[in-house]
Amino acid sequence: MIAIAFVAPLLLGAIGTLLPALGWLPVLAPTDAATEGSWAGFAAIAGDPRFLPAIALTLKTGVFSTGLVLALVTLTLVCVHGTRLWRWVTASLPPLLAVPHAAFAIGLAFLVAPSGWLVRLVSPWPSGWARPPTDWVVPDAGGWSLIAVLVLKETPFLLLAAVAQLRILDVDAALRIGRTLGYAPARCWSRLILPRLWPRVRLTFVIVMVFNLSVVDLAILLGPGSPPTLPVLLLALVNDPGSRAAASAGAVLLAMLVIAVVAAALLLERVAMRVASVRRRSGARGHGLDAGRRVGQGAVLAISLASLVSLAVLPLWSLAARWRFPDALPGEWTTRHWTGRVESLSGPALETVALAVASTVLALVTAVAWLEFERRGRVPRLDWLWYMPLLVPQVSLLFGWQAAALLIGADGNWVTVLHAHWVYALPYVVLILAVPWREHDPGWAQAAAALGAGYWRVLFRIRLPLLARPLCQAAAVAIAVSVAQYLPTLLLGAGRHQTLAIELVTSFGGVDRRVIAVLAVLQSLLPLAAFVLALIYPAWRQRRVGERTERLALQTGTGAR
Amino acid sequence: MTAGALHATDVGLRLPDGRSLVRNLGFTIEPGEVLALMGQSGSGKSSVLAWLTGTLDTRLQASGRLWLGETRLDVLPTERRRLGLMLQQDYLFPHMSVGDNLLFGLRGGDRTTRARRVEAALADAGLAGMANRDPATLSGGQRARVSLLRTLLSEPCALLLDEPFSRLDTALREQIRAFTWEAANALPVLLVTHDLADVPHGARVLNIGADVPTALAPRPLARGT
Repeated sequence: MIAIAFVAPLLLGAIGTLLPALGWLPVLAPTDAATEGSWAGFAAIAGDPRFLPAIALTLKTGVFSTGLVLALVTLTLVCVHGTRLWRWVTASLPPLLAVPHAAFAIGLAFLVAPSGWLVRLVSPWPSGWARPPTDWVVPDAGGWSLIAVLVLKETPFLLLAAVAQLRILDVDAALRIGRTLGYAPARCWSRLILPRLWPRVRLTFVIVMVFNLSVVDLAILLGPGSPPTLPVLLLALVNDPGSRAAASAGAVLLAMLVIAVVAAALLLERVAMRVASVRRRSGARGHGLDAGRRVGQGAVLAISLASLVSLAVLPLWSLAARWRFPDALPGEWTTRHWTGRVESLSGPALETVALAVASTVLALVTAVAWLEFERRGRVPRLDWLWYMPLLVPQVSLLFGWQAAALLIGADGNWVTVLHAHWVYALPYVVLILAVPWREHDPGWAQAAAALGAGYWRVLFRIRLPLLARPLCQAAAVAIAVSVAQYLPTLLLGAGRHQTLAIELVTSFGGVDRRVIAVLAVLQSLLPLAAFVLALIYPAWRQRRVGERTERLALQTGTGAR
Repeated sequence: MTAGALHATDVGLRLPDGRSLVRNLGFTIEPGEVLALMGQSGSGKSSVLAWLTGTLDTRLQASGRLWLGETRLDVLPTERRRLGLMLQQDYLFPHMSVGDNLLFGLRGGDRTTRARRVEAALADAGLAGMANRDPATLSGGQRARVSLLRTLLSEPCALLLDEPFSRLDTALREQIRAFTWEAANALPVLLVTHDLADVPHGARVLNIGADVPTALAPRPLARGT
């Protein structure tokens, strides 16, 4: 049931995208007999003058940003690991991951725009700007703003995946051995650790690459408008009934483009691994380059600060009554942007919370059920399947899913939207839970069973409490994923379900900065609260158990005191 | 003190809360000599070794001086100290073959010379023809020997051993001990252990479990017997 509910929309999505691209499914893509089963959709998209520039822009922003993410993660590992900065950088990852993409993009725009906080902080002295400079605009025509936000938002994701693997790889011992054999720290990383780390984070890297090549909401917010990136162009086309075939054909081409880029990246990996293997045998020790390491640490610190300051600027704008350029802080403060919009924002906020809570509960229950079935040998391991939604461009999948929903009359249905949120939250929940679940010591359950506990009692009183920490982390991530969903809610909700993500993307550019900031802060609050709870609850629970044990020990006279 | 001796003075280690872990430790180890550092668990033996190699946890405060002959080592980064290190685990890198592990340790030489030296080292250790083997397919004793060979091929000026025999079974332990003492016979060797059986005959023993490090009498028989 779980697998079917998960696979069905993926299959329907693929078919529902492919058929209109070939001129079939006339309900969705009105055609005549001459174009049915033809390549008219492909011809139409190829003939669109925006198509080739959109592809070029998509490749530029997607490939460049992914390369920079990889470079920045490597720089952080090589230059920062083992230093005091490392603890600070890793501690800043959860809040950066929790904040939804759209809210983060808006924070970045408020930071680096010509009238943004960075310029205000250096104006009028030392920059000399009494007015916002006109040398750049955000978003820019070259796609650099989009690249910047993709790099800042996806680096913590890949870095967190890498950090989780470092302990398994016993990096400290490898560095110690490598350095006592005479190798400089950077050489130890490149020859001993990165070749072993890479296979473990490859899948996450591919997920980042697919996301960067196919992102829609961030491209709408900070990408160029004319031409836009390919996914944004396709979204514009799919809303026009006359262009449905072209949009579907474009979605198929986008999927092929993503496959080609990922294949090229994997080919490059093979070449790099071969070169690295030859160089490892050379015995060249490398140089310490302490200065280089310091420069790297400075760069990582600056980028981390930029990310955190992007988040800090949002509450400032949401409480600003008046904030004239070039003042560094608002001249007057007010809460009226919050209090005056309670009515208009409560609907989207409640819709967001309802979808997030429902999809998170569903994702947790189904992931636990599947992992339990798997543990008992009733179902096979299907890790590759759970990651499919993250490996296929959302546009390529959701166009078809929307078409299928239209055909069966399920479009605009809350359950359909919830289904989509579940499909996108489940991979992350499985990703987080799979390892602790599979490696959980069966001895605990056996000990409980030997004391007479049945299956359900063991599950609820032993396994789930012992795995509370990863369960809480998975729940926090699922909430963050659901709150950030833009395209699934937009396409499958048929405009009937206004979440904060949709409000934010549609309002940006046309509404007062202070109102946008309120929306962005509001959208960030729920996932941030979830992450804080995920950190606090397991620790609080652990302390409570400790106190109870101590009380019991005192009562029975077995305590140390 | 001769040119190749390892000499440490006034070594002190403090825990993050300010408590003293090791005080006033000093020793000199001549080439070909073994000094065994003994003490209970938590007495700071491995931390001393980490300080010697420059890989001490940054939360610990350390003081003291370390020389190799006339060269002051404690001011140099780990990779320039040329102190070979063997730990409890062999840490053979799993993404490299046995031969590549040894090539990683080996210093200098062109491609052909390097390959020849690795083959010769393997043959000397009774591991001929194993260069292309995956380290995971080796026995515990074979792994221990490859690990020691890798360290020695890096041409260290002294050898630091942190309980390198403790994970081996009893029969193997004797064999690897003999192999180690023979292979390292021209180097100053510092051995950290809590098992007196690991200490070769004729080696000096320094106990750091007491408030002030205490030198015990050397084990009676000559080394290598």
